[in-house]
Amino acid sequence: MAKQLIPWNRSFATMSAGERAPAAELGLLDATMIGMGAMIGAGIFVLTGLAADIAGPAAIFVFLFNGVVTAFTGLSYAELAASIPKSGGGYAFVRETFDDLPSFLMGWMLWFAYMIAGGLYALGFAPNFLELLHVYGLTAAPGEVGAIAVPILPVSVPAAVGLALAAVALLVTVNALSTAASGSAETVFTAVKIAILVVFVAFGFLSAGGGGETSFTFQQFDPLFPAGNSPFSILPAMGLTFIAFEGYDLITTVTEEVENPRENIPRAIFYSLGATVVVYALVVVVAIGTLGAEGLAAAGEAGIAQAATSFMPTGLPIIRNGGALIVFGAVFSTLTALNAVVIASSRVAFSMGREGQLLPRLGRIHHRYGTPFLAILVSAVVMLGSVALPTESAGNMSSLFFLLSFIIVNAAVIKLRRERPNMRRPYEMPYYPIPPVLGIVLNSLLTVVLVVYLVRTDPLALALSVGWILAGGLAYYALRLRRRGSPAESTDSSNAEGGVD
Amino acid sequence: MDGNFRIVIAGGGRVGKRVAHILDDRGHDVTVIERDPEQAATLSGDYVATVIEGDATRPGVLEQAGLERADVVAALTSQSGTNLAVCLLTRELAPDTQTVVRTEDEPGTEFDRFVDEVIFPERAGARAAVNAIEPDVNTLEDVTGTLDILELHVAEHAPVADRSLEEVSLPRGSLIVSDAAGDTLAGPDTVLHPGESYLVAVEPSVVDEVLNLFRG
Repeated sequence: MAKQLIPWNRSFATMSAGERAPAAELGLLDATMIGMGAMIGAGIFVLTGLAADIAGPAAIFVFLFNGVVTAFTGLSYAELAASIPKSGGGYAFVRETFDDLPSFLMGWMLWFAYMIAGGLYALGFAPNFLELLHVYGLTAAPGEVGAIAVPILPVSVPAAVGLALAAVALLVTVNALSTAASGSAETVFTAVKIAILVVFVAFGFLSAGGGGETSFTFQQFDPLFPAGNSPFSILPAMGLTFIAFEGYDLITTVTEEVENPRENIPRAIFYSLGATVVVYALVVVVAIGTLGAEGLAAAGEAGIAQAATSFMPTGLPIIRNGGALIVFGAVFSTLTALNAVVIASSRVAFSMGREGQLLPRLGRIHHRYGTPFLAILVSAVVMLGSVALPTESAGNMSSLFFLLSFIIVNAAVIKLRRERPNMRRPYEMPYYPIPPVLGIVLNSLLTVVLVVYLVRTDPLALALSVGWILAGGLAYYALRLRRRGSPAESTDSSNAEGGVD
Repeated sequence: MDGNFRIVIAGGGRVGKRVAHILDDRGHDVTVIERDPEQAATLSGDYVATVIEGDATRPGVLEQAGLERADVVAALTSQSGTNLAVCLLTRELAPDTQTVVRTEDEPGTEFDRFVDEVIFPERAGARAAVNAIEPDVNTLEDVTGTLDILELHVAEHAPVADRSLEEVSLPRGSLIVSDAAGDTLAGPDTVLHPGESYLVAVEPSVVDEVLNLFRG
């Protein structure tokens, strides 16, 4: 994710020693690619194996149905982004609509969702990176790599966790110290990711009829629902993989940089969503058709990569093993997605700080680096901590909080339609109020299913989630007390206006 | 409290529209109430403000602009009567909100009891005309092309507070001209003291970034 595309305040691409890149004008294609980049990024590589583990071959429906569910929220985002000219994403819209407490909770939950997503992508990056090294014979197979002894400290961490921590630390440092990056880089990155997946799909289908153990066959889809599974078994998998569709929130963080945003933002949301669903469906069909749901499940976070190494041609010049290309795609995607959520999470904290909903300090930019330094560091702490979670827990928690946040965004559309009927809506969603109501109902349904599933299988993730919300309540009231206690803090900055009169 | 104002502008005509653009450049949240559907559509295409289409003197319309959260309501239509009505309604509906009224005629002190600020844009227009006619003596606000010359106050907890210019990196397109006293030109070792003001020349595209560095 090109950093400049998520500017702190329109064109915050300030400065290394007085230099500043001009704000990029993004076209419809760029905006669409930002959304697709976030969605196609890591979700497909990291979560396909886990979804297959829960739902079996029916995992294809998991991604299709999630695309449908999320489309309703996409409509809400489109209407809000076209009416309210702010680059803040979902939090900005909700802040505009709701009172203090609900908007605080929304920001608090969205912030967490992005931070945990960071942990998730880092956890997805590590095994794929090990797999890449393995393909070239540099290390043993991922499962066999031992622990790394940490110098000085008398502990050793598993290699994968160490790698995940290193990835987070690297990207946090880069983003904390500089905001410079080229504006169209994201479009190129996303195009590379899509191209790699297209290669994957093409070779997967070409392997059909090859007779090999992992040639593509439709027999892998029979039975669609493994023994003992009812069609409802896909619901928890939908909950887990919901995070794979959060890209439209990222599009609405750059609206003010897009040319003709009132028309292009809604389009970018729909195009990116549609294209993502198609890509997901094809990739999952190939992965299951070749490796089988069980093989995919066994490979976990490196599922797609392992499927690829099984059928891609070998003996190619330079890269030798064709599968390495896909593994590289997984490494590249998880890293760029991690970068995107490092920026997105700190941006939510930064906006909340500016609005006075978190410590005002978080809403300040660094006097030298031009970045929201403290917001990035604070977000990094939670992100680093979440690397200690199992991948599935991170996916579950992140999805849970995106689901909850999106419920509030849908409610914001309804509230604005009722309270501000005269507001100009350059994009009005069709069939109002059905889409936001369906969005709320379906997201709530998935939330309930996910919570029930967590009660049964992952009490740790549930406890941490509840803990975060409780901590949010405490933080909210503590900040209110603090503001009342020191009125100076809240008034001293309002006279920075200056200007000639 | 965070240096970002929420501003409601009644009237998106010649004055209101330009004001909305400048405020948006400076990073504020702007809502414009405009009666004429065509004007409202143009304004909404500019993507600088949330637009409410309707008559701002109707309480039901004015309230849709979110008065209870607004820091300032500026009534900038071409009619004094309309503007005064909007300000009086605002006082009634949201007593804490500041009001700015635009008048058609040279204002005396008659409005002072009812509004917080009175502006008379024709006076600025007259100055600009005089500047053009007699170019040797220019009123400050018109000396520059698009460049803004701002007097900026350093807030207590601003990112640049207590930093020397050497430590701070300002966006390209901005220059600190002189320190508060205005006797000496600013140099690398000039320290930006909180609570004091500095003369800063800024290109419009980076105004909000510069303001962010000076705000708490």
